[in-house]
Amino acid sequence: MILHILTKAPDSSAATQMQQAIGEHDTVLLIEEAATAALDTSWAAWQQCQSRIFLLSEDLTSRGLAGIAANNELPTLEMQGFVALTEQYEKTVTWY
Amino acid sequence: MAPPDALLVVIRHAPHGSNWLREGLDAALVAAAFGQPVQLLFMGQGIMALLKEQSSGAPGQKATLPTIDMLEMYDIDKLWVAEGGLQSMNLSADSLVEGATLIADKEVPGLLHQHTKILNF
Amino acid sequence: MQYGLLVMGAPYSSPAPHSALRFAHALLSRGHQITGVFFYHDGVHNASSLMAPPQDELNLREAWAELNQQHAVQLDVCIAAALRRGLMSESEAQRHGKQSYNVAPPFELTGLGQLLELQQRADRLITFA
Repeated sequence: MILHILTKAPDSSAATQMQQAIGEHDTVLLIEEAATAALDTSWAAWQQCQSRIFLLSEDLTSRGLAGIAANNELPTLEMQGFVALTEQYEKTVTWY
Repeated sequence: MAPPDALLVVIRHAPHGSNWLREGLDAALVAAAFGQPVQLLFMGQGIMALLKEQSSGAPGQKATLPTIDMLEMYDIDKLWVAEGGLQSMNLSADSLVEGATLIADKEVPGLLHQHTKILNF
Repeated sequence: MQYGLLVMGAPYSSPAPHSALRFAHALLSRGHQITGVFFYHDGVHNASSLMAPPQDELNLREAWAELNQQHAVQLDVCIAAALRRGLMSESEAQRHGKQSYNVAPPFELTGLGQLLELQQRADRLITFA
């Protein structure tokens, strides 16, 4: 099982490549520019990884997207939660 | 199947666009020189690193192909190419260097899972 | 757990170094250790002692140095990536006939092998780029 970290927007080639690489039991964390995924609930990865995909809340807050993510009922994690995910997943791959 | 403790280096950037490709390949070569089994996966623009018609461009543009040719000497003989990426770039397999092996997109997650270590460039 | 961090983004060009620092402090607060931080690609710019951001911005070089002072975290910089981008220690500057240098302890110039060793030694390697 792999933790995939995306740092670029959902329409980036990094995002497309990550989506190709996600396995059935993998988890996804969206940080930095990937926080803009909060704006697009129709992004395929939301369905592809249902209940295994999270937004980093402080990157949402700094970009003014926290309220939108909450309204869209998207799952978020604090930095502590980020660390907790890396504890669970032996391998992490960052897509940038 | 990848040998235990194998390193997968993922290459996603084209030659000449940035230094990601060069520095990614350097990491693969150093790992192999240290005796670690290494495989490469080329995705998206990274596939361009394998185009066999690459030749010397303008003076001062360091070519990538000599490094690709060196991989075999370092026992890096698995050069996986994600098929969908090849198709979406309108490239055919015979435009690539010898030794490139196509892998179906749906096999990519499995390839990542087989490797205990991954570096993504 | 032992963590290794790979930082490949330049300060003030990429958010990667800042994310890496926040992650570093969070993992330490959860009782983990950092085996080392490896700076590669544009990440080598984090080591520049000549960076002088405005006062209201975090000085990332100093933030890394603080992490080293407080938690004895090793800060390794890929020498090949550094030299081609104009980052060098005093001894490298002498070797290359340069008038000045901008990499000093706690940052150490080292080979790429150090990254692979870090990946072998640490329980986790997290990339920030």
